[in-house]
Parts: sequence; structure tokens; C-alpha cells
Amino acid sequence: MLFSRRLMLGLATAGTLAGALAFPALAEGPTEIDLFFPVPVDGKLARDMGTLIKEFNEGHPNIKATAVYTGSYDDTLIKTRASIKAGKPPAAVIMSANFLLDMQIENELTNLDSLIAADGTTKEQFLGQFFPALQGNAVINRSVYGVPFHNSTPLLYINADQAKEAGLDPNKPPQTWAELTDWAKKLTKREGDKVTRWGIAIPCAYDYCGWMMETLTMTNGGRYYNEEFGGEVYYDTPSMLGALTWWSDLVTKHKVHPPGATPGPAVSTSFISGNAAMMMLSTGSLTYVRDNAKFAYKVAFIPRNVRNAVPIGGASLIVPAGQEADKQKAAWTLIKWMTSPEKSGWWSRATGYFAPNMAAYKTPDMVDFLNKNPDAKTAVEQLDVAKPWFATYKTVPVRKTLEDEVMLVLNGKKQPKEALVAAQKAADETLKPYNAETSLKLP
Amino acid sequence: MSLAEPAALPVTTSASPRLHILKRFTTGFKASLPAYLLLLPSLVFLALFTYGAMGRVFVDALYQRATPRAPVRFVGLDNIAAVLADSAFTGAVVNNLVYAVGTAVPSIALALLFALALSRTNAVTSALRAALFLPVLIPMVAASALFLFIFLPNVGLLDYYIGGLLPVLPNWLGDSDIALYAIMIITIWKNAGYYMLFFLAGLQAVPEDVMEAAHLDGAGPYQRLRHIILPELKPTFLFVTVIATLNAVTQVDHVFVMTKGGPSNATNLVLFYIYQQAVEHYDIGKASAATLLTLAALMSLTALSFRTMANREGGR
Repeated sequence: MLFSRRLMLGLATAGTLAGALAFPALAEGPTEIDLFFPVPVDGKLARDMGTLIKEFNEGHPNIKATAVYTGSYDDTLIKTRASIKAGKPPAAVIMSANFLLDMQIENELTNLDSLIAADGTTKEQFLGQFFPALQGNAVINRSVYGVPFHNSTPLLYINADQAKEAGLDPNKPPQTWAELTDWAKKLTKREGDKVTRWGIAIPCAYDYCGWMMETLTMTNGGRYYNEEFGGEVYYDTPSMLGALTWWSDLVTKHKVHPPGATPGPAVSTSFISGNAAMMMLSTGSLTYVRDNAKFAYKVAFIPRNVRNAVPIGGASLIVPAGQEADKQKAAWTLIKWMTSPEKSGWWSRATGYFAPNMAAYKTPDMVDFLNKNPDAKTAVEQLDVAKPWFATYKTVPVRKTLEDEVMLVLNGKKQPKEALVAAQKAADETLKPYNAETSLKLP
Repeated sequence: MSLAEPAALPVTTSASPRLHILKRFTTGFKASLPAYLLLLPSLVFLALFTYGAMGRVFVDALYQRATPRAPVRFVGLDNIAAVLADSAFTGAVVNNLVYAVGTAVPSIALALLFALALSRTNAVTSALRAALFLPVLIPMVAASALFLFIFLPNVGLLDYYIGGLLPVLPNWLGDSDIALYAIMIITIWKNAGYYMLFFLAGLQAVPEDVMEAAHLDGAGPYQRLRHIILPELKPTFLFVTVIATLNAVTQVDHVFVMTKGGPSNATNLVLFYIYQQAVEHYDIGKASAATLLTLAALMSLTALSFRTMANREGGR
């Protein structure tokens, strides 16, 4: 009986451990909830989030919220899905705004309507706090599934010093594609065949590339996808063809834009180092540019060909499906607190995203901040022409079909028209199962 | 082989052969029970985290749902057929083959070169060995983040130093013709020092007397390398080749950090394809089927190499 004593010891230890684990659940205490949060821009955000949650816990003794860092937007989706599958979903998640539709289709989201009704407000009143452009990504089939937390739009960044040097007036930034092309030509510097300074750089890596294509297509009068129904994208259309052809012309015809696919961080580094005179990038990069640019810079609306329009980006707060009622309630308290005007404004100033809550811009701190940093105003003003971010069934693969083709065009391997035809075909294939269940399911 | 077998051998001849075997087995089992019990904890964890997961993959590969809200149903080999018909998968396999050959051959050649150059131990070679081994100590993710800056078009270290020599500055990671080779350079840089260790160990095993005899017989350095060192290193070569091939399939951290398989799937490798199916497409069936195919390929490759190795060892 060599092992019996050890076995007993082992059992005893296991028993104690199990008891210790079970104990807090039995005890009366604050409702413990987890908040999954991604850090899409830089490391400092994790500290800011810690500060925010600490403040919340101090003000709400009945709730103990824990902020769990979950990586990028994509990683956060993976981890949320994994925890839903394991039966232990977090109470709230800061989720990339264009993943909501896909999650709703997969039954992974809690409908927030009843929580709003329990507060004695109507959906219209609740949504009315936020900029109208943000509502498209938060409302699905007239039900609220997400609360906008931090958002962005694309902007045109201009190196003002280089513009002046080229005889251009940075206070009158280019407003149309024609003017932008002209600026880019004047700002490009060459030594023989070699370009030493690019006129403009537009990022194209998975995720960013689709967002920029949506931006260019919208300014060309088009739409990327069906805003009302997740089974359609409009890749093979004149407005997108015009957008991609112009982008491709900047690279191959005018030679004012670096060839190939360049990810966002490479574009911003290029701009900061003076190697690209203009760039199109998210408002989320504004703080980074402000802190790092050693030259005068200007931000402007994305120039138009047909109309001024931009997509939104950023993230919303969601409550995953399958959560216990008391935790759901606690999560709702946290969400309302985090999206209140004061906290929304604080987070905006810390990160560079704009605050989705309109009242945030009336708080004294924010008025003060905007007076000191007028460039932050441009993003907010552009919201008037902003529209939802593309979201379809299987958003990421559907987007990737377009991005792969756009990258081929930017590498000079395909013509825009054949690229878009191929992208449309591949996207339709991915969307097929969803259409079979919805638009093509006939009585 | 049980620990206590010789002592437990029964000598009774009256019992029937069948009972004999059974008795032998039970006594054998009884004697080796402590050994099994000692192995039990690791077996539990292996079952939980390795065999259990493998079994789950096997089951998942057989199920699929027709439409998003439909329940999963048994589809047999449909998932495997779908993976094989997917041009992204075949593209990833081709990329992976190019990547495997293009990283294994140069990194093994470099490793051998380093090992031969640094086989004698003194202060200088120790320092150089440490320097060459350094990349192994850097996690792949960190190394990828570093190389991201090195490869930055126009402003990165690489363009800073060699930009003047090139007619046009390439977009190292953004050009679909170049990106895979850029990724391969990191792998070679990272792994050559690691494989060097195996070759250094292998070189210690080259018999000193044979070398001396060859030296006395007037064999030059090349002849000694060709006829003594390389044949003696054969098992090491085989082992390192297997490791390098496995690495080519299982290490995709840099693809994840640097290119996400892009541009236009130019750097998409099999393991990253599986990740995309599971996470981006949310298609567990197809991801599991692709995993099974990869596992089968890897296992047959490993079995084949080790059998060759065993044959060689045994047939000496």
C-alpha cells in the first residue's frame, strides 16, 4: 500500500482546492464580471483601461469588474467565441463594430432592447445619444446589439512643410480626386527612375485595405455592401471600378504612390519620416502623429470624386449570449457608465478616437481639449457625412476576397476590372449559404 | 518489457499453456503496476490535451452545416474534398513546399558551415557560437516585429543600407513576388544557429583515431570532410532535416505578425490556412479536415525518415 497514503493526500488537497474555488460563488459579495478589451493601437491603452475600470469599481461597490486584455480586434473575436463555446462568456466585450452582424447571425449576441426598456427609456432615446453615423453598426433588424464605445473615420494627413515647399497652400487642402492627384504629383520627388519621396500613401493590408476601398468607393458615389442585408456586396460596380482604377493609376500611371501592399504602420512611419508627403489613415492615428511628427501637419476630409462620404471604424460594447441575468445587469451598468459623456470624452482624449456620445463634446474638458488641438475637430466634423462600416455574413472572408484582388492590382499583376469580377465571384460564393437561408429561401 | 519479468517467470510446467500465458501476464502486470501508476499522471494529461484534442479534430472533420443556422450534420469526407478543391489550400501547400525547401537547405548548409568552422573550442569560437545561437533565443514573434522594421519600404534598415545599390526600392513584404522570400530569410536567420548545435554535437562523435589515421595517410582537409566527417554526420543530417521540415510546417508566427498570409495569399502557409478557416471563416469542419491532411503528411514524412534512419543504423 505504497500509494494509498499519497493518494489520500492528493484527494485531500484536491478537495480543499475545490472547496476554495467553490466558496466565493456561495458567498454573498459583489457581482464579478469580466470585460474583454482589445488594444488595436498601442500599449498605453491597457493602462488607461485599468484606470477606467478601477474608477468604476470604486463607484460601484456591488460590482467587481475585471478588464481582461485580449489582443487585437481579431483575437478578441476568437477569444470571445471560444469562451462562449466553453459556456463561460465574458459579461461584456469591446468588439470591432463590423463583427456584430456576423455574431448576431451566429446567435452569439444578447439583444439589448429589454435592458434598455428596463431603464424606462426607448430605443430612440437611447440611440439618440450617439452620432447617427454610428447607429448602423449597432442596430440589427431594428434591435440594439451594441453600444458605440470608440470610433474613427479615415482622414487625409498632409505634411504642411513639404506642401509649402512645393508651392501648395496647406490651408486649402485638396478637396477632389483631381486636386489630390495634382498635389501628389507636385509632392513626389524623383532621382531618375527612383522615387525619393512619395506624393501620397494609402494603406493596404488585410482589414485596412477593405476599409480604404470602402472609403474610395463611397467618395466615388458608391456603396460597398447592402446596409440592410448581410448577403450582398457590390464589388463589380462602376463606382468601385472607378475607385480601384484611380488608386491603381496613382501607382502605375502617375507613379506618385508606393507600389504593392503597404500596411498601416508602414504608411504612418513613412509619413512621420517625411518619406510620404500625404497619407490616408484612421483618426485613431492622430495622437500618434501629433506626438511624433517633427513638422507641421494638417488633417483634412477625404477628397471626393462624386460626393463626400466616409465609413466609420472602431468598436462597440456588446454582451455575449448565454450570460446569467445578474451578470447581464452588471454588464449593462458598466456599459452605460463607460459610454457616458464624461468617460467617453476621457477615453477619446486618451486614445485619439472620437467619442461616440455627442454630449461628450459639450463637457468643459473636451471643449478645452478641442481648443488646444483643433485637428481633432476635423474627425468630428467629417461625421456628418459618415456612414456605417461594411458588415456582412462572414465579414472577414468576404472582405479578404476583395483585398487579395486589390493587392494584385497594386502589384501590377491584374487590371482593376478583372480583379473586381474575380472578387465579386469569390464573395458571392462565400455568401451563398446565407442567401440560401434568407433571400433565396422561397415559399 | 516489465521491470520484474525475469524474477516472475513461472517454472511450473503442469499448467495449460493458456493459463501459463495469463498467469505470466498478470504477474508481469502486478510487478509493473507501480511503473504504470507513475506514468498515469502524464497519460492523463496526454489524453486530455493531446489525444483528446486529436480525437476531437478527427470527429469535427466529419461534420458540417449547410447554412448558417442549420445544425451540424455528418458529411463524411466532404470536408476533406472541399479543402482539396480550395485553391487557397493548394496555393498554401505549394507555398509551404517552396518555403520548406527554401529554408531547410540553406539553413542546414549554413549550420554545417558554422559547425565546421567553430568545431574547436576556444574563447573566440565560444563567443562566435554564442553570437550565432542568439537568434534562437529571440522568440519568433519578437523577431518578426524586429524584421517588420528592417523590411519597411524606403525607411527601413534594409533599404537604408542597400537602397542606394538597387535601381528601384522593392516593397519587401508588400510585393507578392518577394514577400515569401523575405519571410524565408527570417526563418534561415533564426534556425541556422539552432541546427548548428546538432552538427557541433555530431562532430564530437566523429572518432578521433579515424581522423588521425586519415591524417597520417595523407588525406587532405577536403578528403577528410568528404570521406569521414560527412558520412559520420549522416544521422545528424537526417534528424536535422526532419526537424527543419517540421519547423517549416509548424512555425508560422512570423506569417501571422508580418503578412497575415498576404499580399494576395503569397505567403499563406498550410498552418495559417487552417487558422483562417477556423477563425476567419469560422468553419471548424474545413479547418479540422485541413489539420488531418497536414497531420497525415507530417506523420508519414516523419515515419519514413526515422525508418530510413533505423535501417541505416541497423544495417551497418
